Amino acid sequence: MATVARADVVPATVASRRASAGLWTNAWYSLRRDRLTMGAAALLLLLAASAIAAPLFAQYVFHTSFEEQDLLHIYAKPTFDPPAYMLGADEIGRSQVVRLLYGGQVSLFIGFVAALMNLTLGVGLGLLAGYVRGAVDDLITWFITTLNSIPIIFLLLLITSLFQPGALTLTLIIGVLFWTGVTNFVRGQTFALREREFITAARTIGAATPRILMRHILPNVLPLIFVLAAIDIGSIILAESALSYLGLGVLPPTPSWGNMLSNAQSYATRAPWLVVAPGAMIFLTVLCLYLIGDGLRDALDPRLKAS
Amino acid sequence: MTQQRTHRTLLGIAAAAVLIATACAPSGGPSASSTTTTQETPVAGGRVIRGSFSDIRVLNPVISTDATSSQVISLMYDTLLNVDAKTGNPVPWLGKWTVSSDNLTYSWEIDAKANWSDGKPIIAEDYLARAKAVARSKLTTQKSSWNDVEGFNDYRDGKATSISGITIDSANPKKFTVKFGKSFCPALINVFGIAPIPAHVFGKYTVDNDPSKNIDTAPENAAPTAVSGPFKFKEWRKGDQVILSRNDGYWRGAPYLDEFVQKVVADSTVQAAQLKTGELTLGAIQPGDYDDLSKSDNLKLYEWKDNGYVYIGWRLNNPNVPALQDKRVRQALAYGLDMSQVVQSVVLGHGEKQIYHTPSVSWASPGTAGFQAYNFDATKAEQLIKDAGYTKGSDGFYAKDGKTLGWTIVTNQGNKTRETFLQVAAEQYKKIGVKINPKVEDFTTLVPKLTSGSNEIETIIIGWQLGTDPDPFSIWHSSNIATAAQAGNNFVGYNNPDVDKLIEQGRGPNCGQDVRKTAYAQMNKILNEDQPYNFGFSQNRILATDKRIRGIEPGSFSPDATWNVEKWWIKQ
Amino acid sequence: MRKYIIRRVLYAIPTLLGISVIVFAISRLAPGDPVRLYTFGATNITEEDIAALRHFYGLDQPLPIQYVTWLMNMLRGDFGKSLQYNQPAFALLMERLPATLQLAVLALVLQVGIGVPLGVIAALNRGGWVDNAVRFFGVVGHAIPQFWIGLLLIVLFAVNLHWLPSQGLLTIGKDVWDIPDRLKHILLPAFVLALAGVANYSRYLRTETLDVIAQDYVRTARAKGLRERTVVYVHALRNALIPVVTALGGILAALVSGALIVEQVFTWPGVGQLTYAAVRGKDYPLIMAGVMFASTMLVISYLLRDLAYARVDPRIKV
Repeated sequence: MATVARADVVPATVASRRASAGLWTNAWYSLRRDRLTMGAAALLLLLAASAIAAPLFAQYVFHTSFEEQDLLHIYAKPTFDPPAYMLGADEIGRSQVVRLLYGGQVSLFIGFVAALMNLTLGVGLGLLAGYVRGAVDDLITWFITTLNSIPIIFLLLLITSLFQPGALTLTLIIGVLFWTGVTNFVRGQTFALREREFITAARTIGAATPRILMRHILPNVLPLIFVLAAIDIGSIILAESALSYLGLGVLPPTPSWGNMLSNAQSYATRAPWLVVAPGAMIFLTVLCLYLIGDGLRDALDPRLKAS
Repeated sequence: MTQQRTHRTLLGIAAAAVLIATACAPSGGPSASSTTTTQETPVAGGRVIRGSFSDIRVLNPVISTDATSSQVISLMYDTLLNVDAKTGNPVPWLGKWTVSSDNLTYSWEIDAKANWSDGKPIIAEDYLARAKAVARSKLTTQKSSWNDVEGFNDYRDGKATSISGITIDSANPKKFTVKFGKSFCPALINVFGIAPIPAHVFGKYTVDNDPSKNIDTAPENAAPTAVSGPFKFKEWRKGDQVILSRNDGYWRGAPYLDEFVQKVVADSTVQAAQLKTGELTLGAIQPGDYDDLSKSDNLKLYEWKDNGYVYIGWRLNNPNVPALQDKRVRQALAYGLDMSQVVQSVVLGHGEKQIYHTPSVSWASPGTAGFQAYNFDATKAEQLIKDAGYTKGSDGFYAKDGKTLGWTIVTNQGNKTRETFLQVAAEQYKKIGVKINPKVEDFTTLVPKLTSGSNEIETIIIGWQLGTDPDPFSIWHSSNIATAAQAGNNFVGYNNPDVDKLIEQGRGPNCGQDVRKTAYAQMNKILNEDQPYNFGFSQNRILATDKRIRGIEPGSFSPDATWNVEKWWIKQ
Repeated sequence: MRKYIIRRVLYAIPTLLGISVIVFAISRLAPGDPVRLYTFGATNITEEDIAALRHFYGLDQPLPIQYVTWLMNMLRGDFGKSLQYNQPAFALLMERLPATLQLAVLALVLQVGIGVPLGVIAALNRGGWVDNAVRFFGVVGHAIPQFWIGLLLIVLFAVNLHWLPSQGLLTIGKDVWDIPDRLKHILLPAFVLALAGVANYSRYLRTETLDVIAQDYVRTARAKGLRERTVVYVHALRNALIPVVTALGGILAALVSGALIVEQVFTWPGVGQLTYAAVRGKDYPLIMAGVMFASTMLVISYLLRDLAYARVDPRIKV
């Protein structure tokens, strides 16, 4: 429905899973046989690597920078001569392919860092709410419901208008807003787990709450956190590109896939090739992440497998 | 039906500058305009569908503050006097006038044929209704235009129940006089280049002895019932389109078109696409779409010079950028920017370089002889920087006392021309050793900073859409310097007593065109030398129309070419 | 059951209150001054004029007072006047609502109408190319940025092929009741809006149908000699559809509140576009009205969905 979906995953019941050493081995084994997921992971790694290596590409392969203009070659069609114009040039002659690589840096940075913030916040609050319960749980749940009830796009619109737009502020904002799905999930899991015998046993021997949370509950919850993480990063990249498209995310001249697309829209009739590449990058990256998330989920809990 | 060639202008905008900082490009000056072939006879029928990037907000000239609304309002409300689209000279329209020898009293007579669309005659009461409505409205921004009309301020403040300076002839309801407290040249356009509003519709909202009552909430503000222009209101589908239909009782003779529709489009790409498919039949387009649309065989393009320009404003009163206070640095920045290349690549040749304030289309323009052209000369630019005491560092940038020569230039987001100009300028300045940091900012946060003289702004790229009167008081006079205490259009903080005096000369008491022209020529000479702006370029207006539309005659002083819309017709 | 409903509805009230506080605070704390914005470019405007306007709009009061005023007025049904249009904010919203509703309803029809059969067919042809295609599309549908696919479709269908219009409700000059023209205009935006939902439902139905096929009563039915197709369609579909059908109201509400990007791309004059323009233009009363409306829709959708699940799932204590 909305473009920006938070990671609302149907909570899986892991009631009978044990945090055994066999989990990861099993998971890895079935993952290796899942061609689609492995392919997606490989593609993602390739994208990330090229984004990180963007300065190297710029210097040694394309011999240009992401801001270098060439007013004599505006709107150049894609051509291999010079290699910098492999994907064409924009309205002031900048190399699209180089900008795409640097844009990847921005988008992936925001995606990973914001997701990290989400997960930290989400896991922390989820554990707290699920284990401690009571007033703390009520407060957190109420806060989650309230936050979830404002359409995410409006929330992002409003909050980004508070600050100077830029990659860093966007990361912080998204990092602080997208944790509700993770919290819900972790809370549910913690809820179920705390009634289990091994938790009761730990409590009986006097283990302190933090220790119980860290050593017993968290490891059980962790595997599916990875699934959430993959989906979360995908949602964040979509959100960032939507905001940049609307003009509220990363602003030019810093390239980001979202604002490259919004820029291209103004020239869509003159240079349609500028529209395809940035959107395709967003799509491919998010697709890989979702496929990896799916694959991980299948590998880690066969009961959730679609077939 | 009448052969009289008179012209029309945008309403509700005072003589001095109006700033447009959103997507649309400003309009251009008269160049080769197309003429209707004499063989064809106009036929009635058809509609024109114009694209616009934002929806209108209101349909009353008194409280309208945005250009989109004003565009549509001008099709429904005719003004007392109009302005020749090609020359900008005031011409009689709804009425004709004479002025006393001391330039203080204007006597008007409204045309006998002038009627509202509901049949009632347009009379002096209607003009008075406009004056009173402005005086008492809380939403209008036009009050200060009337400052010099006697009695206006008292009526405004509720101290009087009538405006003493406006007297209606008891024998002839179409005759009236307006008396000014002092001679003020732009007053002609400010006070008479506006539209009367029907007193029989709006008169009841403004109550003489109750200053709290006004027209601000009148339902006719969104759905006019009686109009004086070629089209009358039919329907407003919010966010989508405004539909106007022919005013059969139009006092100059009914227009040929059945309907005039203004439709909201998302951006210039969509507009260009819709022009090609025929969903739109009229639209102002960007230079970038010129080549593509000129190839469409269902379209015809008109291009003309604009009465406005896009510039780089150097903040002269910002303590964070002391370098800009040195005239040599500013002149270096003029020599260091290849403006002809900018015009080539940013507006693709559809524009011309500006070297001072007054655009070439204005009667006040002094031509290029005797002015510094600032042709691109990187060596000279760097020499001037060195003369100002800067030395080039190992990083390629100039520096003085350990501080690098560089600052931030900001422009508003959403205007492709300005954004591209910003990028190009930043790049070229880097090449001559000035470290410019280009920044794009949302319009809504930029505006308050600009008008309050915030020091967060070091240099701004923005544009002026100038009014018909060349008076640049609000832009260049030192009393209009934008500060936190007082909003003003003198964003750069320019303070030059010589320029102040020349501007004051141009405002009166001698309003002869020659006298004013000399004053403005001297002012432009100083501005050209001082370079408080890099005067950038003037971007041509380009209009794309369905080629079956006849009668369009563009002129620089009619930014959307609708000055003669009642003569437009569609060849079937 | 009644107690559950009442409890949930009561619970929604502090939620909505909390939302209003958050939205109010954020929109007011943001830098920018709408009065300066809307009077920008007007020559000769004085500080007194600006101060008078600010007073007129009630913007010179301290923020908490402004909030309380807004709240009191809102309870009486008065959402204030839009700063841009100078007309009642609520009326402006209601004017635009039909357009968004039409879009949302059609999107819903597409989602269910395409997603459900796809999912069932995929389950029936497990391992076949339809199955793989559906599984793939199930993931792809979420990953496509709405504005990108919208733009591509516009360029393809409107600019290149001229089959469909690129935006708006209907062609100028055509009657509002001209159904074929309306359909042509609504098709692309509804399709883009429905994409993620189609992906969802096809995957969900596929999973559910597979589960049901393996159930005992299906085996029994098969043993009775009924054709496999009949068995599946009659039993599996019915069971799988129940949650979808019961949640329709909720889905619709969610669509209404989430159509903003589609409305932007296609210049669809709906509530999403109006609210977006209000946020960008710092039109405070309209921002509050629009966001509160969208949030209320969302809260209602959660409520309806929870109620639907409560009815269907006997484990939930009512």
